[in-house]
Amino acid sequence: MSLQPIRTPKELGSIDYYTSGHRTCAGCGPAIGYRLATKAAGPKTVLLGPTGCMYVANGHQFLTSPYAVPWFHTQLGGGGAAGIGTAAAFRALISKGKRKREEINVLVYGGDGGFADIGYAGLSMALTYDYQRLLYILYDNESYANTGIQASSTTPWGATTTFTPTGKVKRIGNERMKKNVALTIAAHPGVRYVATSALYPPMDLVNKVRKALNSGGPAFIQILTPCPKGWFFDPKHTITLSRLAVETGAWALWEYEEGTFSLTYKPPKRQGLREYMRMQGRFTHLSDEDIERLDRVIEEQWKLWLESDRQRRIILPWTPPPTPL
Amino acid sequence: MSAVTARPVQRLVPRMRIWTGTRAIAEAVKIADVDVIAAYPIRPYTGVMNELARMISDGEFSAEIIVADSEHSQFEIAKHASAVGARTFVGSSGVGLLYAAEAITVTALAQLPVVALAGCRALDDPGNFGMEWNDTLVFRDFGWLVSWAKDAQEALDMTLVAYRVSEDRRVLLPHFVAVDGATITHIASPVSPPDERIEGFLPPYKPPYPLDPEYEPVTKAQHIAPSLIGTEQRKVVDVSMKRSRGVIEEAWRDFSRRVGRSYPPFLESAYMDDAELAIVTMGAYTKDAVYVGQKLRERGERVGVVRLRYWRPYPAQELRESLEDVKGIAVLDFSYSFGSPDMGGAFYNELRAALYEAYQKPLILDFLFAGGREPNVEHFEKAVEITKRAVERGRPERLVYWLTLRGEDI
Repeated sequence: MSLQPIRTPKELGSIDYYTSGHRTCAGCGPAIGYRLATKAAGPKTVLLGPTGCMYVANGHQFLTSPYAVPWFHTQLGGGGAAGIGTAAAFRALISKGKRKREEINVLVYGGDGGFADIGYAGLSMALTYDYQRLLYILYDNESYANTGIQASSTTPWGATTTFTPTGKVKRIGNERMKKNVALTIAAHPGVRYVATSALYPPMDLVNKVRKALNSGGPAFIQILTPCPKGWFFDPKHTITLSRLAVETGAWALWEYEEGTFSLTYKPPKRQGLREYMRMQGRFTHLSDEDIERLDRVIEEQWKLWLESDRQRRIILPWTPPPTPL
Repeated sequence: MSAVTARPVQRLVPRMRIWTGTRAIAEAVKIADVDVIAAYPIRPYTGVMNELARMISDGEFSAEIIVADSEHSQFEIAKHASAVGARTFVGSSGVGLLYAAEAITVTALAQLPVVALAGCRALDDPGNFGMEWNDTLVFRDFGWLVSWAKDAQEALDMTLVAYRVSEDRRVLLPHFVAVDGATITHIASPVSPPDERIEGFLPPYKPPYPLDPEYEPVTKAQHIAPSLIGTEQRKVVDVSMKRSRGVIEEAWRDFSRRVGRSYPPFLESAYMDDAELAIVTMGAYTKDAVYVGQKLRERGERVGVVRLRYWRPYPAQELRESLEDVKGIAVLDFSYSFGSPDMGGAFYNELRAALYEAYQKPLILDFLFAGGREPNVEHFEKAVEITKRAVERGRPERLVYWLTLRGEDI
C-alpha cells in the first residue's frame, strides 16, 4: 500500500495521531513536526520515542497520552536499536505465520541529542539493515532543550547554551560547527531515502515522510524544528523562523533518493542571515561582523549545494569555522 | 516396528550429545522457536550466537538475527521486539553486560520477558578472561530473574524453563540464565537434548498489551511525575518477583516430569542430612565442592554441600531451613564487593543477610576467589578445614579469606 503525495493540508484529513494530552511549550517546533509526521504516516504505525523533549514534555504531569497509535519509550541512546527491534519483531512474526501479513510503519522520533550524539552509533547500525517502512526522524532543535538548553553536536556556531555560555573570555558561545547528520546518514549504502526538512514549506515534511515510508528500505529525515525555549524567541514566530531558516539558506532542504541528490527548495535570491539570527536571543551577543563571517560560510556552502543539485550527486560542503582570528 | 512402539525405547536410551554450554543453550533457543536474536561479540558468551547464526544460516530454524553495534543496542533490540510480541534471546559477558546496564534495567521495569545468557567473566581493567560473578550479580536489584546453571545440561534445561517462567502472565519479568565462563561456556560435556515430550511445555508468547496497531493503542513507559504511579509501578515488579517463586516451582515440576530428570527448584543439596559443616556455592564449581564433600565424608567429617539454583528470586527461606542446623558455613565465592560489610563478597553478604533471620546462626566464612585465578579441590578442602577450626574454637579468626592469593592476605 503506497502512500500518495499530498498537495494541500486539506487532503491530509482531520484525523490526528499525535493529539491533545501533552504539555509541550507554546510554539514548540518538535510538537508541530510530530503532528505532521504522524498524520503523514497514518494509523498503521508504531511510534518509538527516545528520551528528550518529545518524551518528557509529552507526558509527566498527568496520566494522559497524546498518541492515538502504539507508542513506547526507548532510552536516549536506544532509538536506532528500538526501531530495528520493533521492525524485526514484525518481520519475524509475519514470516513465521504468527501474525497476519500487513505493512506496519515503524517511526522513531528522536532529538539531536538522541540521534546526533549518544545514539549515533545505534542509528548508523540500524541503517545498514534492510527493514522496510522503518523511518528515523531527527527533530533538530539544536540543543538538549529538555534539560535546560545544553549544546549538542547540531547546535550552530555562535549559539549560547548553558554548556556554551558567552562570557568575558569566551565571547562566541558555541564554537563548534553544526554537524550535518543527514549527510553522514547518506553515506550508508542501504538507505533508500534521506532528506532534510523544516516546518516550512507546509507540505514538505508530510510528503517526505510518505516518500520515506514508500522507499522500500530504512529511511532518515532530519527536520529543523525551532524551539522558543532554547532559541529565545516569541512562540508566535515558530513558523516564521522555519521559513527564514529556509529562505536565508541557513538550512538547506534536500533529498537523496537511491543515490540521486536534489535540492527541494532553492532560495530565489539568498537573503543574509541577519533577520533570521536577530530574531533569536541565543545569538544576541554576536556582533554584526560575526554574523557577516557566518554569512560568508553559508555562501560558500551554497555554491556546493547548488553544484550537488546540478550534478545530482552529494559534494560534502566543507567550510572552515567562522571563528575570528 | 512402527514409530509408536519405537518411542519408548528412545526414551530409555536418550541420545547423548557432547556439547559445550553455549552449544547446549543454542539448542534450547531453537526448541523455543525464538523470533528475534540480537548479537554482539564478547568472550565467553559469544559461542551461543555463533551457533545460532549457523543454525539460522543452515535453515534449522527461522529467526531475525541482528548484529548490533553494541551491547546497549543488543538489549534495546530484544526489549522492543519483546514489546511487539516476539520471543527474544540476547546475552553478554563481563564489561559487555555493564555497557548494556541501562537497557537491561529498563527491560525489567517495563516488564518484558526477554531471556538472556550471562556468560560470567571478570570485569576489566585489566582485560581478563577469568571467571567472576560480579558482571551478573550487579543486576540483582532491578527485577531480572537470575538462575545459575552447574553444567551444559542444566543450562539447556534452565533456558527452556526461563522462557516458561518469564512469559507467564503472573511474572512477565526478564530472565538471566547465568553460566560460569569457560568452565560451562567452553567445556564440552554429555548433554541429552529434550525429546518430543517437551512439546506443549512452552505455550506461545502472548504479551497482554502488544505494541502492535492490530490491537488497541497502548502508550508504554510514558514519562511520569513521581507522585503519579511511581510507587505502584515498583510494587508491580515486586509482586511479580514474589509470584515468580510459585511459577518456578510449577515449571520445574512439569519439566522434570516430562524429561525424566529431577530438579529441585531452588536449592540442590548433597550430604546435608546430618551435616555440621556446609559448603555453599553456585555454578560449575559445585561439582568440585561435592567431590570434596564426598571425600571428607569418607574420612568421617560431617560435611554437606548446598548450591543455589536461583539468585533472583533469592531462596532465603530454603537456605534458612537447609542451613540453620549447621555450625559452620564455607562460602565458595567468585564475587567481590570492595568496602562491603566485613569486606566480603556480594554473594557472601547476601547469604549472611538471609541467615540473619534464622533461629540459630552458624559461623559463616567467605572464601573469595577473585580475579579469575582458578581454585582447585585443595583450596576447597582448606576452606572446610578453616571453617571447622573456627567452629571448634567457637569464633572465627577472620571472616574473609583470599585462598588463591599469592603473598600475604592482608
